[in-house]
Amino acid sequence: MAVKFDVNGAQNVEVSKKLPCEKPLAEQLEIMEEYTRVHREASNGPKELREIACLKVLYPRLFRKIEDQDLVAGRLDFLPIGFGCVTSVGGVGHYCVFNKLLAFKDQLETEEQKARVDVLYDYWLDHDLKTKYCREVLTEDTIGRFIDVNYPLIATARLSGMMLDYPKLLDLGIGGLRDLLKGKLENEPENPFYLAGLECLTLFEDCAEALAEKASIQSAEASEARKTELLKIVSDLRKIRTDKPETFPQALQLFWLYAMLAGVINYARLDDCLGPFLAKDIEEGRMDQQDAYRYVKCLWTMIENRRTTVNGRVIVGGKGRKHPKEADVFLHTALKVAKDCRYVEPQFTLRVTKDTSEEIWDEAMDALGAGATYPTLYNDEVNVPAVAYGMRVDEKTAEMYVPFGCTEFVIQGQSTGTPNICMNLLKMMTIFMNGGIDPVDGMRKNREIPCPPLSEYKSFEEFYAAYKRLLDYYMDLSIQAQYYSYEVMNRDVSFLFTSLLTDDCIERGKALLDGGVRYLGGTNEIYGLINASDALWAIKDLVFIRKKYTLDQIEKAMLANFRGYEELRADLWACDKYGNDLDTADGMATDLYEYVAKGVRQRGIDAGMQYFLVVISNNQLNTEWGRKTGASPDGRYMGQYMNPANNPQGGANTSGPTAMLNSLAKIDARYHAGSVQNIKFSPEFFAENREAIKLLFKTYFEQGGSHVMVTVVGRGVLEDAVKHPENYKDLIVRVSGFSAVFVNLEADIQQELMSRVLYD
Amino acid sequence: MTEPVLKIFDIQRFSIHDGPGIRTTVFFNGCPLHCPWCSNPESQKGRTELMHFDRKCTHCGRCFQACPNGAISFSPETGPVIDRSKCRRCGSCARVCLSDAMRMTGKEVTVEEVMATVRRDRHYYEKSSGGITVSGGEPFLQSEGLAALLKAAREEGITTAVETTGNVSAESFRKGLGLVDTWLFDLKHADPEILKEVTGGNLSLIVENLKQALREKDSQVIVRVPVIPGFNFDEKSLTGIFRLTLASGGRQVDLLPYHVLGKSKYAQLGREYAQEGEKGLDKKELIPYAAIGQRMGLNIMISGKDPAVIGG
Repeated sequence: MAVKFDVNGAQNVEVSKKLPCEKPLAEQLEIMEEYTRVHREASNGPKELREIACLKVLYPRLFRKIEDQDLVAGRLDFLPIGFGCVTSVGGVGHYCVFNKLLAFKDQLETEEQKARVDVLYDYWLDHDLKTKYCREVLTEDTIGRFIDVNYPLIATARLSGMMLDYPKLLDLGIGGLRDLLKGKLENEPENPFYLAGLECLTLFEDCAEALAEKASIQSAEASEARKTELLKIVSDLRKIRTDKPETFPQALQLFWLYAMLAGVINYARLDDCLGPFLAKDIEEGRMDQQDAYRYVKCLWTMIENRRTTVNGRVIVGGKGRKHPKEADVFLHTALKVAKDCRYVEPQFTLRVTKDTSEEIWDEAMDALGAGATYPTLYNDEVNVPAVAYGMRVDEKTAEMYVPFGCTEFVIQGQSTGTPNICMNLLKMMTIFMNGGIDPVDGMRKNREIPCPPLSEYKSFEEFYAAYKRLLDYYMDLSIQAQYYSYEVMNRDVSFLFTSLLTDDCIERGKALLDGGVRYLGGTNEIYGLINASDALWAIKDLVFIRKKYTLDQIEKAMLANFRGYEELRADLWACDKYGNDLDTADGMATDLYEYVAKGVRQRGIDAGMQYFLVVISNNQLNTEWGRKTGASPDGRYMGQYMNPANNPQGGANTSGPTAMLNSLAKIDARYHAGSVQNIKFSPEFFAENREAIKLLFKTYFEQGGSHVMVTVVGRGVLEDAVKHPENYKDLIVRVSGFSAVFVNLEADIQQELMSRVLYD
Repeated sequence: MTEPVLKIFDIQRFSIHDGPGIRTTVFFNGCPLHCPWCSNPESQKGRTELMHFDRKCTHCGRCFQACPNGAISFSPETGPVIDRSKCRRCGSCARVCLSDAMRMTGKEVTVEEVMATVRRDRHYYEKSSGGITVSGGEPFLQSEGLAALLKAAREEGITTAVETTGNVSAESFRKGLGLVDTWLFDLKHADPEILKEVTGGNLSLIVENLKQALREKDSQVIVRVPVIPGFNFDEKSLTGIFRLTLASGGRQVDLLPYHVLGKSKYAQLGREYAQEGEKGLDKKELIPYAAIGQRMGLNIMISGKDPAVIGG
């Protein structure tokens, strides 16, 4: 049955707006037409060769001019039609972002041009990768598209979070990679992956040369000082066109240009990749600290300017670095840059171990105290063994874990981990309690899973077990939809640039989703976990222990959104809540978490994947999904935001930061691939008590905490920013899996942030 | 022997201003003094109190209907108005309040119940050299219970601190000896007349107890001085306190600048705030006095911090 869905809907969180394309509209249209023509004509041959043919249409043409502050080259525009990995830059595979194409059409002047757009629109309705996936997977009642919050589960096709093997790139250079591929080709001369891979390297060379020419032309008009910089860019580009990099600027240029062409938006462990070049340049007198700072700041700016909202990860520190001493040179510089820049991206990520130096801790506290919201801190002592268990790899491999996006882990250069599923556990509960009908829209969403009248449950265990049946059903859907997303993507595309730097694609002669990637992993974002577990506790306590209400009474009150049931609602809200270090509510949270997390994990293993793990992250979906989730037994109103990530519902934690962190640390990291923890302090409190707060974090980490991210913001400041946004254009807050300029967020998302407990 | 019941009014975790490191502070109810600047006025009478939080009140009128003593009058415009002379602090209004605007403070708990919370943060204490602090009110008004709590903490390897006015009988005070790692000993004035008049305190009793604490071998004594404008925020008063500290054998003094954080509680309790209009002091304002104390040979801190750090 064909399911109806809106192909024109927005597809991702886009708080930060991108710069408009610098090409004239007519030229943009020509490029898209050319892309479409090549796509159509190459459709009968191997997908690898079609992909490289299409890429050649886009590059080097879509590179923008080099900005005055750039010390390396490589800024890209994206069109509504093109090729990519993720929705944040361009789209997925051979893509058309229909809402952007329509917006593009609106800007055109002539009817003739508009008609040409219509032709493209119609062609891509049948060829846009994501649309094809949606047609095959979405249903009327259970599975919605990203991001349709009317559904309990949403699914998409994308290849998010790839972190490439940059050490290999920097070690071999383009020429070395070419030799490697040529060697492989001798044994398999027809292998389309190798053939297309070699063409990718040629395309890289062409892009490097084209950018060198751009820089050279721009240098003619430039001031003396800028001219020197541009000519350096020219010579560095010509060097790394084929050769291995020898200096930090060359290494940075090679890494950056490759990342641009691969379309990746997370940048791996750059301290360990780039640190040795930086340390050597400093040691041998080619650069000083000030130069280092300028180059790293340039990198920061170029990442910020890509505006992916929830990505842009740069990871430093932690276990498994090959060059820890040199890496720290980069790390210290990056900490200073992060503190000064206070950009929303990169999402600067510091992995700490029990041996992380006080100096690094202090620099991190400096940046956080300055309101940068970075670095966000990950605890290797917990995460490395947890990743080893969760992803079923050895500890050495697990040491190469890297968080991307909102927090999802992948193994750098070795695994996929894209979260193509999101599940709303709380919405499922409201559906389950209402006989299978979603109280928000009156639609049945339980398929064949029984949701009998609530009066039939004689014990809490029976009630809970019945809820779990609905969870099971949706977990089954989740693995099918995730796995199928890989099949659909693999049918159409190879993600060539990404595959070339992902183990073991070259070794096996296969693109990553074609059997090339060493660890085929994936993630499932779960939402409303804490609301659901608090709800379960409230039901257990009020209905089955204290017997103050019946399930029917509670359900009736929920359907009325507690109007006329204020007392009942107050009783629900007064029940023990997660985040206060109480065995009651926290015990329920860990129980529900483990049921879902283990259930998802086992389904991944059964499906033949290396891992399929939940992540308890969130961007702002906790608020958006809350808008379409009925009132719930934790005392939450219909339409109200849900709890952020693995944190308590705003205002529910009243026992101070140690109690909250103790609650957070109870979530066993072995069953998830990332879980986000927010904590918020006032600047005065943070500055006055830095030592105590540092020890607070360290103790939390020793007790099993996997992660913490810190917002330092004054009491009343967010409230004032709502009233006077014009005064707070650079106020950055941590939403959950990303940072944003507060005044750019929607009103209820701002409300959710303000509801979180501030320690002062 | 039955386990002693403790009358407390709060337990605060991640307490970082009452002794070293990260601590959990247990606030005992009841105080022999009536300092007009007190930031915990709900503790002064040592009984449960009704507090009304106007900011949270939705003017629903449920409290007015629930009050069995006719102590609450009500109109939708004003919200509830409590006649404290009629209120018997029965808690009927707090039980029906849906917005947590009527709240009873003060409760009775066992030592084990307190310890169940305190031990939850033991790892934070170990990491930061913190522990339990018993404050108040005046802990020694419940000296049996205090001793039992301190012993229980010590038995679990948790270090102890007690914040005291010292204004209790020597006999009561002795019950704490040998059980306290850090004394936070208040010395508010060196003039017995002024002290008596303003706070109701008995200076000679206080000083005798201070000397007892200072004689303890394995504990640290920090003399704490709340610096209050119009009471002791002047060279003469503070010098007097320094001198008395030295004479008693004390070496460490912590100056605590007057703050107004407890002010709103007076309205919530339906009481007048005697310090109305007075502004809080900045730490920097105490630096000259710290210098005087240092010249006299004392180790002076301001709010637990080295004055040199504050000055810089």
